[in-house]
Amino acid sequence: MMKNIGIIIELDNGKIKETNFGMITLARAKDTELFAVVMDADAASVKEDLELFGITKIVEVCLSKDQQANPVVRAKVIINVIKAYNICAVFGLSTATGKDLLPRIAAFLEASLVMDCYAVDLEQNLVKTSQYSGKTIATIKVTGDVLVFGVRPNAVEPVKAQASARIVKLKLDESNLVAKGFRVIKTSEVDESTNINLVEADVIIAGGRGMKNGDNFTILSKCAEKLNAAVGASRVAVDAGWVPYSMQVGQTGEKVSPMVYIACGISGSVQHFAGMKTSGMVIAINTDGNASIMSNCDYYVKADALEIIPELIKHLEND
Amino acid sequence: MNKKYDAIIIGAGVIGCPIAYELSKMGYKTLNVDKLADAGEGSTAGSCAIVRAHYSTADGVAMAYEGFKYWLDWENYLDNVTDEKGLAKYMNTGSILIKSQGHDWKKVQKNYDEVGVNYEEWSVAKIKEMVSVADLHEFWPVRRPEDPKFFDDPVKELEGAIFCPEGGYVNDPALSAHNIMRAAEAKGAEFIFNAEVVDIRSENGKVAGITLKDGTRIDAGIVVNVGGPHSFMVNKMAEGVWEGCNIKTKALRHEVMYCPSPEGYDYLNDGYHMSDGDIGCYVRPEVGNTFLIGSEDPECDPQEWVDPDEFYAGKGGHGKDNVLTDEQWKAQCYRLGKRIPSLQVPNQPKGVVDLYDCSDDWIPVYDKSDLPGFYMAIGTSGNQYKNAPVVGRMMAELIDACEKGLDHDKEPLQYKFKHTDRSTDVGFFSRKREINYNSSFSVNG
Amino acid sequence: MQIYICVKHVPDSAANITIVEKNRIDENLTFLLNPYDEHAVTEAVRIKDNLPDSEIVAVCLGKDDAEKTLRSAMAMGADRGLLIASDKNHDSIETAQALKAAIEQDGNPGLIFTGKESIDAEGMQTMFRIGALLDLPVATNVVNLDIEAGRAVVDCALSGGTANTYELSLPCVIGAGRGLNTPRYPTFPDVVKSKKKPVKKIAFYDLKIEPSKAGMKIVELEPLLQKREPKEIKGDAGEVAKKILRILKDEARVI
Repeated sequence: MMKNIGIIIELDNGKIKETNFGMITLARAKDTELFAVVMDADAASVKEDLELFGITKIVEVCLSKDQQANPVVRAKVIINVIKAYNICAVFGLSTATGKDLLPRIAAFLEASLVMDCYAVDLEQNLVKTSQYSGKTIATIKVTGDVLVFGVRPNAVEPVKAQASARIVKLKLDESNLVAKGFRVIKTSEVDESTNINLVEADVIIAGGRGMKNGDNFTILSKCAEKLNAAVGASRVAVDAGWVPYSMQVGQTGEKVSPMVYIACGISGSVQHFAGMKTSGMVIAINTDGNASIMSNCDYYVKADALEIIPELIKHLEND
Repeated sequence: MNKKYDAIIIGAGVIGCPIAYELSKMGYKTLNVDKLADAGEGSTAGSCAIVRAHYSTADGVAMAYEGFKYWLDWENYLDNVTDEKGLAKYMNTGSILIKSQGHDWKKVQKNYDEVGVNYEEWSVAKIKEMVSVADLHEFWPVRRPEDPKFFDDPVKELEGAIFCPEGGYVNDPALSAHNIMRAAEAKGAEFIFNAEVVDIRSENGKVAGITLKDGTRIDAGIVVNVGGPHSFMVNKMAEGVWEGCNIKTKALRHEVMYCPSPEGYDYLNDGYHMSDGDIGCYVRPEVGNTFLIGSEDPECDPQEWVDPDEFYAGKGGHGKDNVLTDEQWKAQCYRLGKRIPSLQVPNQPKGVVDLYDCSDDWIPVYDKSDLPGFYMAIGTSGNQYKNAPVVGRMMAELIDACEKGLDHDKEPLQYKFKHTDRSTDVGFFSRKREINYNSSFSVNG
Repeated sequence: MQIYICVKHVPDSAANITIVEKNRIDENLTFLLNPYDEHAVTEAVRIKDNLPDSEIVAVCLGKDDAEKTLRSAMAMGADRGLLIASDKNHDSIETAQALKAAIEQDGNPGLIFTGKESIDAEGMQTMFRIGALLDLPVATNVVNLDIEAGRAVVDCALSGGTANTYELSLPCVIGAGRGLNTPRYPTFPDVVKSKKKPVKKIAFYDLKIEPSKAGMKIVELEPLLQKREPKEIKGDAGEVAKKILRILKDEARVI
């Protein structure tokens, strides 16, 4: 029997984010029809892109600006879509927005949900995600009438599968969209207290003795800003007074496990490794080819980080 | 490897490096072999690097006092060598020894008098003046938080303390070993890393060299075991050596905690090293304004003897592997929390778990062995970091004397200290000794 | 006001994880209060400072050993503990049902806290399920919270240093994020005081939870092995930067 799959498309200023295509690729399976749900734009404007990856139905929902900003309303829209089209699995991205939306849908429906997953088997209803701070991979069997999946952004390589899609407009009963006790005051305001936390950052760019002085850390900060990363430091940089203790990674500092750790001018002592060895990818930049970190990383560059990082900033700016 | 060496030193920690340095200065061609990636990365890195004089034996006090002189004059000791990683720094905080039932402090005081260590006696009021955050009740005996009596209110006050103005810690112990390596290299010493010794070869009843895991054979007429927690395994590789030791060594798991200083108290800059037998802890400042809390091995605490390879590989499970335990975290932090009631204790343990190369009586073995040409500087029992430069010189002189025919077992070498006017009987550290019951049987030595 | 904090007893993130019987971890390791829950407790204590009549109740679904985590929460300022004892591991659907039932049985929540996620299962959903079951509004990853005139105004962190501001009617459910506050950890006298605080134990099975049609069951756990094989990036500074950028994009996928 044909299964109907819902895919919540995330847009950025009206443009479709690339990472949606990996999610669509993941959701594609035998005997399925893919429904893309577009809440923030005119469906026609994204139709071609979505067709390229195998979407056959595009559900367009017209919401007011206020409604668009309200995660409770958005969750209720998806629930309406699920009911209207007899959808049995919903995919969304495990982004900051997704983390505020997908669990709401699952909670309202008392449906299963696995966040941050990177593999889904819809025949056996098995999902893979990581647990225990990235130390294990869990395979989870999900059950229920509707399954909700939060897909780890960029976890799946997008593969094209040309289809032709039909746009369907869903008229919603406003009374079904009430966000009880929940009102949006402001969205996407710059917030001081949300400075990227070292422990939570996906990317950390850290400096050590090779940074030579405290001023050079501003180069790392600039690069971090472009990468949406946090800046860390080795103990040497803290002992020398170049940066505050709160930035120290290691045995006597923070223990971190970002997806990428870029070590600039850090030799990689045992004590430093104690704080970052669980990182996903380690990129080391050091003038000393014999530094411990060079034999305990994924990529190494034998060079002065003070020459490489400014170039990286340039490329990030042009990107 | 075709090169011939006079001496191979197994281990490049804070004891192995100064032995190489001193032997090189005496004209020996040395090679240090270490299974890790750099100098000082093993148990040296996990050391609290405390420099203090209080030991339970006069010889112990004398050696530690001699050691000070090296740390105070670090650049000169290193012959002004440059190290691209910078130099380790000795931080003189002064050292408080709480008068308690947990220490035989009267014996320590007698030893201080004998050796001529500079000290002051502090009253409780004086301690309070110098350490404003302290509660100076007596909490003895040391207990664990699992014991309901741990939470009993104290009734008595402490007696006071002995304060040594000379005392403190080295800020980066791994770096200090690296510094000595660079100084040794400047004198011709060589070091190889990521090289694990699997065999110690002997011929005609004399040591002949070592074999590495990759099959490389390196020859030398002298081999020195400075293997730290692996020392007992190294001794077993050499014919008859382990069997010939009356004092044996084993690897003891040990946890050290980092707990943030109470708000408003600048422990990093205003604090002292303090050895507090009343609560079974010693503390010193650590970067980030934290208290480094070590345990003085009170009787109620469990002792975990482990296989060092399993331990460093993270195996063995809770309380045996290289991860801090909640139980010991609470024991050590809450003990200090009695002394410092404003100390806030986080839920997540933070600190270091490493191994002591522990001898039967917590006193090291600095000696020759039953295999001619094979020497050992082992069993440091968590209390020899401060003595490392002295040990380097003493071992070099011992090796030189034995190679020139001294029968050290019969006529033990008398080592003359270089900075203080005193000598020590190296036979005190003999492998053949009976267990020394004057020892504290703890990290205090 | 009664403030309920749902706390979880989780393995220390520093612990070595060993997998047993294919889908469980060896639980003989250090467990502690979920770090995000520390922010929740600290925030509840801050609210209580302004509303002294409040009572803070820490609730935990876990094995008997989880009482330690309730003790940690009480040492940090919770007034009492409620342990829903179960010898099984439960998914977040059952967990939310149990927490809801226990809280309803115990009192009248004016505010319910959770951490924004647990560091073991990383499910990120229990707060929403509790909210749905109790028909209360929910906000997660809250980094600022103001309680005023019967409502909560919250900042919820997004990526890139931005936040959304929402207004929730009370009672509501708050998932505490890291930026919410600096946890206030207990002193030894706090620990002594907390030893006298009561922990009520109820059995999971006594809550008579209806089995759900939906569920998430871990069928397999595998260790994520990290053996690094260093590869050199060569070239002049510009070329190297270009290659790093490509690695960050195509391989690490963080851009």
